[in-house]
Amino acid sequence: MRVLLSVALALLMGCSRSGSKKTLTIAVNAGVEGSALKAAAHEWGELRDTRIEVVELPYANLFEKESLDLESRTGAYDVIMMDDPWFPKLAADSGLTPLPRPPDADFLGSTLAVCRDAGTFYALPYVGNSQLFFYRKDLFEKYKLSAPGQWKKVLEAARTIGAGEKMYGYVMRAAPGNSAVTDFMPLLWAFGGDIFDPQGKPSLTSPEAIEALRFMLELGKVSPPGYAGFNADEVSAHLLQGTAAMSINWPAWIAAMDDPLKSKIPGKIEFAQMPSARLPGVAELGSWLLAVPAASPHRDAAFDFIYWATDAPQLTEAALRGNPPTRRSVFLAPDLLKKFRAFPAQLAALEGARPRPRTKQWNEIENAFGVALSQANSGAISPEAAMQQANNEIAAILERSK
Amino acid sequence: MTRRVPPGLIWVAPAMVVLAALSIYPLLYLVKVSISDARGFTLAHYARLFQDRLFMVAAGQTLLYALAALALEFFFGLALALLVDSLAHGRALVRVSLLAPMLLPPVVAAVIWRLIYNPEFGVLNGMLRQLGFHTQSLTWTSGRNSAMLSVILVDVWQWTPFMFLLLTAGLQAIPSEPLEAARVDGAGYWRTLRDVVLPLLKPTILLALLLRSMDLLRIFDQIFILTQGGPGSATETVSLYIYRTAFRFSNFGYAAAMSFVGLVITTLAARSLMRLIKTS
Repeated sequence: MRVLLSVALALLMGCSRSGSKKTLTIAVNAGVEGSALKAAAHEWGELRDTRIEVVELPYANLFEKESLDLESRTGAYDVIMMDDPWFPKLAADSGLTPLPRPPDADFLGSTLAVCRDAGTFYALPYVGNSQLFFYRKDLFEKYKLSAPGQWKKVLEAARTIGAGEKMYGYVMRAAPGNSAVTDFMPLLWAFGGDIFDPQGKPSLTSPEAIEALRFMLELGKVSPPGYAGFNADEVSAHLLQGTAAMSINWPAWIAAMDDPLKSKIPGKIEFAQMPSARLPGVAELGSWLLAVPAASPHRDAAFDFIYWATDAPQLTEAALRGNPPTRRSVFLAPDLLKKFRAFPAQLAALEGARPRPRTKQWNEIENAFGVALSQANSGAISPEAAMQQANNEIAAILERSK
Repeated sequence: MTRRVPPGLIWVAPAMVVLAALSIYPLLYLVKVSISDARGFTLAHYARLFQDRLFMVAAGQTLLYALAALALEFFFGLALALLVDSLAHGRALVRVSLLAPMLLPPVVAAVIWRLIYNPEFGVLNGMLRQLGFHTQSLTWTSGRNSAMLSVILVDVWQWTPFMFLLLTAGLQAIPSEPLEAARVDGAGYWRTLRDVVLPLLKPTILLALLLRSMDLLRIFDQIFILTQGGPGSATETVSLYIYRTAFRFSNFGYAAAMSFVGLVITTLAARSLMRLIKTS
């Protein structure tokens, strides 16, 4: 009887203890970036005796869920993971809680710049993503080609390799929306164009912007047919299968390029900075940030978690789980440098990377711009007409938002 | 004197509450959102509809998609139903195997077809190459001219079995007497089909067309997975555009206006078909 009572008491105490446990709800991206954070969250939960609930959502749904939560102040999430172009929209109307203390100087400047709104920090950078230029080093050596530092040289090399190897010299993605815009931005910047002029008006009808799109169509001629409908997975599939020689890509694919189980050409891809044209090459930034919604019921614990998760030891763990870090010290750690051969290129790209325009309307602008780019790449309209169309639609979006 | 509550009202009350909560309130809320913005009452969202090039393109393409898919699904569904109905043996087995595509969730079907359509690594072009065809220009969902046809074919593949199922049920419900009378009168197969089978099958045909057309006009998942509306805006549909406007651009007022117009069009189309069913 006494034994039974003891067991019942122990069970009761266990229940009451677990019932009083705080629950931290975290919204993460379903993918490698989110997996690392998920693992870190469970570790932190053990350390702080806090229950962790991870809401894992695909990229397309993550923004809508977070945006709805922040707008309606439901407090459904204590920590949100966000792609950096979403920051202006999500930080608007006091949706996020300001950081209680500024981030330290070890974070890379480009990744910190996208965490700030009107001088106040609202997020911490977790994944240091920026584009890299992937190319087949073995084929460049075979055809005695110099490393792809200039876009003009990239096109020449693509023609040479394409003809010599019976493969595609280049591969890019031009599906409407994010895909087309992401692959076009480094070209636009290198050719001296931009989406907005210094006064904030759309400037896509500039000669530089049109020239950049014409060049993109030239690259399209040495790319696989149907690239106007490609997304990231098709581009990487061509590289992994050895059917294309060069592309712009993201660090998340580096590990696969060296993995013999996934790649037919393991170790043959080299990673370089964005090629130049009229101006030096610049990569697009695509960092993942961590922030605490204003309506979070557990703000103190949420901040404790995001500072812990972005500290150097945890970013080292995250790097081992496949996430590029946002701290210089982690990029320069000798153990990691030995393990990740692309780290020096990644650090250099990240230091000079440029974010997408910081506007609340970015998703709508990117969609309108991406549709026009995809139409030009599919041959539906001319480069001039595409840029005119994008310019008009972006101007209308800005007008409506006033 | 107390008024007695009619007993029928008590029985339908739970259903009415559920209907009000799940259909009527959301509909009224949708209308409210569509005619308001941060400053109050506005008809600007409806005015924008007629100036929005992409909405017009999406509306035209949705109609094209629905009509083409409906015509093909009806044609193949009827042909298969007649063929299976004429089989002497193994009808049940053929019927079950024909239903397989319909049992897949649309998202799964779209992912399968995305892999099949891949120009370089897909099984379709691979097979064509084996047969000696040049597949360089066969880019399927990525081609400006072939994207719409490709997504329509996926719908036809998945939903023809639904047409087949309904029409088979309709064929089996036709009494044998008129068919025997036609045979005795010397009518051949085609004459019997035109003058006896199809008129008797008309209510089932209209019901099948009604159900499919309502589904087709709100097509979303397959196109979202296969093309995301591209290349360019070649496969953009109204549902896709509404989704983007609401959840990517956070413009709920304009999305609500588009949804309301879409609802009105679908309701009008359904009403006309239902009237035809009644008169038949």
